[in-house]
Amino acid sequence: MIPRVAVLSGFGINCETETMAVFEMAGAKADRVHVNRLVNGELDLEDYHIMAVPGGFSFGDHLGSGRLMGNRLRFGLREQVRKFVKSGKPVIGICNGFQVLVKMGLLPGDDDVSLTQTASLALNDSGHYENRWATLEFDSESHCIWTKGMTRIRVPVRHGEGKFVTADKNLLDDWGEGGQLVVKYVDPSTEYPSSTDEVLPYPISPNQSWRNIAGVCDPSGLVFGLMPHPEANHSTWLGATWTRENIEHGEGEGMKIFRNAVNYVSENFDN
Amino acid sequence: MGSQMEIYNFEVTTRDIEGLTDARGDSVKSMLESDYGVQVNNVRVILGYQVKSDMSLEQATRSIYDLFADPIIEVGNLENSLLDNKNLFSEAPQIAIKVGFKPGVTDNAGQAGLDGLRTIFPEISSASQVATAMTYLFWGVPSDISPNWLSSKLHNQMIERSSISDSKDCQKSVWPSLDFPERPKLTQKPSATVNLEVSDEELIQISEKGLLALNLEEMKAIQENYRDPKVRAARVELGLPEKAPTDAELECLAQTWSEHCCHKIFASKIHHVDFETGEDAYIDSLFKTHIMKPTLDIQSEVNWLLSIFHDNSGVIAWNDDWSLCIKAETHNSPSALDPFGGAMTGIVGVNRDILGTGLGARPIANTDVFCFGPPDYSGHIPEGLFHPSRVFRGVHAGVRAGGNESGIPTVNGSIVFDERYLGKPLVYCGTVGIMPRLLPDGRESHEKTPQPGNIIYMVGGRVGSDGIHGATFSSLELTEDSPSSAVQIGDPITQKKMIDMVLEARDLGLIQVITDNGAGGLSSSVGELAELTGGADLDLAAVPLKQPGLSKWEILVSESQERMTIGVNPEDCEKFEKLAQLHEVEATAVGTFTDSGAFVVRFGDETVAHLPISFLHDGCPQLQLESEWRTPEHDPILFPDVNHIEMGEILSRLMARPNVASKEWWVRSYDHEVIAQSVIKPFCGVNHDAPGDAAVIAPIQGGTQGAVISNGIVPRYSDIDAYAMAAASIDEALRNAVCVGVDLELIAGLDNFCWPDPVESAKTPDGRYKLAQLVRANRALDEVCRAYNLPCISGKDSMKNDATLDGEKISVPPTLLFSLIGNHSDVRKAVSSDFKQVGDMIYLVGETHQELGASELAFMLRDESNGESGIGGRVPQIDTSRNLSLYHSLTKAMSNELVSSAHDCSDAGLAAAVAECCFGCDSGADLDISDIFHADINLNDWGALFGESLGRILVSVKPENSEIFEASMEGHECNYLGKVNSGDNITISDQGIPILIASMSELRDSWKNTLNGGIN
Repeated sequence: MIPRVAVLSGFGINCETETMAVFEMAGAKADRVHVNRLVNGELDLEDYHIMAVPGGFSFGDHLGSGRLMGNRLRFGLREQVRKFVKSGKPVIGICNGFQVLVKMGLLPGDDDVSLTQTASLALNDSGHYENRWATLEFDSESHCIWTKGMTRIRVPVRHGEGKFVTADKNLLDDWGEGGQLVVKYVDPSTEYPSSTDEVLPYPISPNQSWRNIAGVCDPSGLVFGLMPHPEANHSTWLGATWTRENIEHGEGEGMKIFRNAVNYVSENFDN
Repeated sequence: MGSQMEIYNFEVTTRDIEGLTDARGDSVKSMLESDYGVQVNNVRVILGYQVKSDMSLEQATRSIYDLFADPIIEVGNLENSLLDNKNLFSEAPQIAIKVGFKPGVTDNAGQAGLDGLRTIFPEISSASQVATAMTYLFWGVPSDISPNWLSSKLHNQMIERSSISDSKDCQKSVWPSLDFPERPKLTQKPSATVNLEVSDEELIQISEKGLLALNLEEMKAIQENYRDPKVRAARVELGLPEKAPTDAELECLAQTWSEHCCHKIFASKIHHVDFETGEDAYIDSLFKTHIMKPTLDIQSEVNWLLSIFHDNSGVIAWNDDWSLCIKAETHNSPSALDPFGGAMTGIVGVNRDILGTGLGARPIANTDVFCFGPPDYSGHIPEGLFHPSRVFRGVHAGVRAGGNESGIPTVNGSIVFDERYLGKPLVYCGTVGIMPRLLPDGRESHEKTPQPGNIIYMVGGRVGSDGIHGATFSSLELTEDSPSSAVQIGDPITQKKMIDMVLEARDLGLIQVITDNGAGGLSSSVGELAELTGGADLDLAAVPLKQPGLSKWEILVSESQERMTIGVNPEDCEKFEKLAQLHEVEATAVGTFTDSGAFVVRFGDETVAHLPISFLHDGCPQLQLESEWRTPEHDPILFPDVNHIEMGEILSRLMARPNVASKEWWVRSYDHEVIAQSVIKPFCGVNHDAPGDAAVIAPIQGGTQGAVISNGIVPRYSDIDAYAMAAASIDEALRNAVCVGVDLELIAGLDNFCWPDPVESAKTPDGRYKLAQLVRANRALDEVCRAYNLPCISGKDSMKNDATLDGEKISVPPTLLFSLIGNHSDVRKAVSSDFKQVGDMIYLVGETHQELGASELAFMLRDESNGESGIGGRVPQIDTSRNLSLYHSLTKAMSNELVSSAHDCSDAGLAAAVAECCFGCDSGADLDISDIFHADINLNDWGALFGESLGRILVSVKPENSEIFEASMEGHECNYLGKVNSGDNITISDQGIPILIASMSELRDSWKNTLNGGIN
C-alpha cells in the first residue's frame, strides 16, 4: 500500500512544497490540503494516513506563533483531529507546525487527546528570528515512531520563537520519563550519546530552550513535533558544510524521520 | 448587526517564570546600547490590544487566554492595567511609553487578532476592529535621557503615535494611554475638471501642487490633446467636460507618464559631448540603444530568451520543463520616510512582479542589496532624516518580515555604505520566480492570453488612502513636505494567501492575463493591460475600499498593497470566485477588457475618465537632454610608510570597514533555506561564518540542476568614472557566479540604475555631468554584456535620488546594481569559497594591475588622513575577452572537480580574499606573491595586496590535483602563491620577504565585530 499524507496549507504555511516532497521521496503520496477544504467537508482527514503541519508563518506569527492556526484547528477541526490521532495515525508538526500542535494542546498532549495546552514556545533569548544549522540528538529509548533508530542529524533551525518552556517544571520530568522529550540540541564536538539537560551555550542551543529540547512527542509516540527543519536536509547537497566533506551524494540526514512514519503506516495499515 | 460596539482593552506581558526572559524588552535594551550607547537597567514590554466589537463581556473574558495571551508563558488582562498588578511589577517603572499606529495605518497584528476573534466567535460583527499597541517600561534610565528622546527612538511619527508617562506620572500610577485609532470619516468629493487653458506658469503650478511630477512640455502635450476637435467631439458624446481633463484623467496620465513608470530619462534624446575625446553625438534613447539592442542581438543567437522587457519580469528557459524569471526593484523614497514599511512593501511588491509575470510565476528566492549612510556616522543629520543605523535596522526588519513571512528565502545580497546615501537610502529588492513551461491546459506560461470580454478582477487587499501618489512622489526629490500618504506597510499574509490562490487558479487554467498593482494602482495595471486588448472599461464603484469616502481619482491611483489585476473568461468567473473564497482572498469583478480603443473609467453610471490608449501610452513627449563629460580630478593616494606588521594592521582595519565587514548578524535573521533548495548558502566554512559568493539553489526537490544568483555593485568607482563603475559591477556579478561554477552558456542579467537627478536645472547645476555619467555607464553595460553574452532581461531605474533638507542637497553616487541569474548543470559540483584543508595549494587566477583608484583602501586612507590622501589613481579597467576565456577554463576545471575553493577578489583586494578563505577553514596561509608582479610594471605592494583589479579569483586546489589544474589553466594568468597552513598566521611575502603578517583570528574578530547588531 502507498500511505497517503495530508500536508496542510494556507494562511501563511510556507514549507508545504518541500514537506510534500520528502514524503514522496519516502514512498508516500502527499496532497497539499488547504485547511478550509477539511473545514468545509470537501476533503476528509480520515482518507489520509499521516497528517503533516508544515513550517511557515501562519497568520504572520501575530498574537504568538502558531496560536491562530492552532485555534483554527482546535475550534474548526477539533473532532476530526482527535479522531485521527485516536485511530493511531501519525502526525508531525515542523517549526510553525510544531508551534501549532503545542498551542492547540496536541503536544506534549495527553492520553485522552483533550487538546489542552501545557507547554509553549517562547521567543528565543536572542529576541529575534534566526536561520542557522544545529546538531540534534535523539533519545534512543523513546517510543516515538518518527525517530526510531535515529542518533544524530544536522538540520537548519529557522525561527524566532523556539524556546520550549512550561509553567510547571514537574511536567518536564514526567515527559522526560515518558520518553516524550525525544530530541535535543547537542554540542557537535561531543561523541554520541551526550545529550544533556543543562542548557547549552548559544548558538549550540539557538534559542536557549529548556533542557535543550528541540522536539517532543505525545504519550502515544505517534504525534511528533520539532522546531528544526529535517525536511530541509533531504539531500546531501543541502547540508551546511557538504562542500567540505567527502561524501557519496544522495539522501540527506533528515529523511529518516519521514521514512520511519511511512514505514510505520505500511506495516500497521492495510489501506 | 444591531448590537452596540464596545471598546475592550486587553494587555499581555511575559509571565514571571524562572528561566524565561522578556526577550522583547531585552532587545530594546540592546538596541539602545548598540545604536545610541545608552545603557538602561531593565526594559519590559506590555502588548496591548484594543478591540472595538459587539462581543459580550463574557466572550471578551474568554478570549484573554483563548486568543490574546499564551496561557503558559504570558499574563493577560482585560480592562485594568497590568502595571497596577504589584505581583508583576513590584517597583513602578521610571518611564512608560505606549506606542500605537495612527488611524488608517495598516495594523497586521490587529487584523490577525480580528481573524482570531472570528474563529472563536464567528457570530461577532465583521465590522469589529482590533488595534495593537506596545507599552515600553524602563528602569534605571540615565538622568540625561529624556522620556521624549526615548519615545522618538521607539516610534516613527509618520505612522505611529505615542503616549508618555514620566517618572512623576509613574509614581502616581498614571499610565500612558491611547484612544482607539478611529479613522476620520471621509466624504467623497465630486469629480472635478482641471482647466488647462492657463499660462505656462500656472500649468507648472497645477503639476507641482497636485504632486503630478509632470514638466511643462508634458503639461502642454496634455493641453494640446484636449484642444483636438475630435477629442472634444467624443467627450461631448460621453458627457465628459469638453475642453479639459477630469481630475481622474489628469491623475491617470501623471501616473502613466511618471518617471517611475515610463522611464523618461532613459527614453530621452541626449546630446552628448565628451571634452576628453571631442565626441559630439546624439543618443536616441539610452534604453533602446544600450540595453534593448544588445539583448535583442543576443536573442537572435540563442533559444532560451522567452520573454524580455515587456512583462513584469524577464523570463528564460531553464530546461524543457521549467522557466525562471527575475526582477529587481528599488523602494528608496518610502524607505527614507518609514524604513520598515518602505522596505517591506519593496520586497512584497517585487514578489508580485514575479506573480504577475506571464500567467503567474512562483517566487522562490529574494535578493536584497542596500546602500546606507555609515552606521557610525557622527556628523550632522538634517531635520527629517533618520540616522543611518536606524534606517539600516528598519529596512532590515522590513525585508526580514516581508521575506520570511512570505516563505521566500533571501539567498543573496549585499550592503554598501557611503555618506551620500544619508539623504536617500537605496533599497534594492530582487526576486526570482519559477514557472512550468506549459500549463496543464497546454498554454505557454510566459505568454498572456487576454481577449476583449475578459472580466477584470481585483484580487487581494482593498483600496485605501494609503499609497496615494507613490509613483509620482518617487519621481520627485525628497523634501520636508513629502507626504505620509506615500508610505505604506505591507501585509505579507494577505499576499501569501493571494499567491497560493493565484497559482492554483493558474494551474486550473482560470487566468488569461495578470499583472500586479504597484505604482499607479489600478490606473497603471488596468491601463497597461488595456493596451493588450485595445481597451478597458473599469467601474470604480465596484472596487472594495478600506474606508468609504475616497474620491474617484484616489480609488484609481491608490497604491494600496497586496493586489493583483487578473483577466478571467466570463465562463470561468464562478470557479475563480469560489477558489478565492476557499483561500479567504477577496476577488471582485471591477470591469471588462474591451477593444474600444480607450481606457474608460466609470463610477457607476458616471464616466469619470476616457483616455485613448494611444495617447495614454505614446503621448508623452520625448525629453531632450544635454550631457557633458569632463574627466574629474582627484588627489593621489598617499601611502604611509609601514612594515609588514603594520601592513597586517592595515588589513585588520580594512576588514573592519563596514563595506568589508561581516554582515552575518543581519543576514542570519533572514530565512535563506525555506523551500529546501539552498546548495551554496550565504555562509560557508567549518564554523558557518565565512562569506559565500553567489547563491546556488536546486529549486526542484531532489533534482541536481541548479540556478545561480549573484549581484555586483561598486558605486565608489563612479567618483572616477561611471563607465568603470558599471563594468566592474557586471564583472563582479559574473565573477561571483563563476566562483560557484555557473554554466556560462546560460546567464542573464538585470540592470538597476539608481542615479541622482541628471537633468540640468537650477536645483541641479551639474546635471550635464551626471547625465554623462549615465551615458558612460550605459555604454559599459552595452559593451560588457555583449562581450560576456549576458543579455539584460529586465531592469529598472530610479532617477531622482536626491534629498534637499535644511537647505542641504545630498545626492547619491551614481549606482548600478547588476544582478545575474544563471544555470548550474550539476549542483553536486558547486564550489564554495572556504579553504578546505591544510596543505591545499592556493592560486590567484587573473591579472593584477596597479588599480587602487576609488578602492576601499583609498577611502580608508583618505578617512584616516582627514582627507590629505586622495582617492585618485587608476580605477579597475575591464578586459572582457581575457576575463571570459579565463572564466570558461575555470568553470570547466570546476566541473572536472579540480577546484576545492574559489573566492572573488574585490573589496580590499587579494589580502582580504585570503583572510576570508582562511576564516572558513580556521587556518592560516603562507603565501609568496612575487609572481603576480609581472603583469604590470607599476604594481607596488599596496596594489598587489589591496588593489581591486577585475577578473581575479582566489582558488585552492588539492595537491594531487595541482598538476592537472595548472594544465587546465594553460594560457591564462594563474599564479601559485602558497599553501593553507595549520597555524593562525597569514603571511604574505614578496621574494621571500614578508610584506604582511596578521593573525587570522584577530582579523576575524575585527571583521565580525563592526556590524554585530549589538544583540547576542
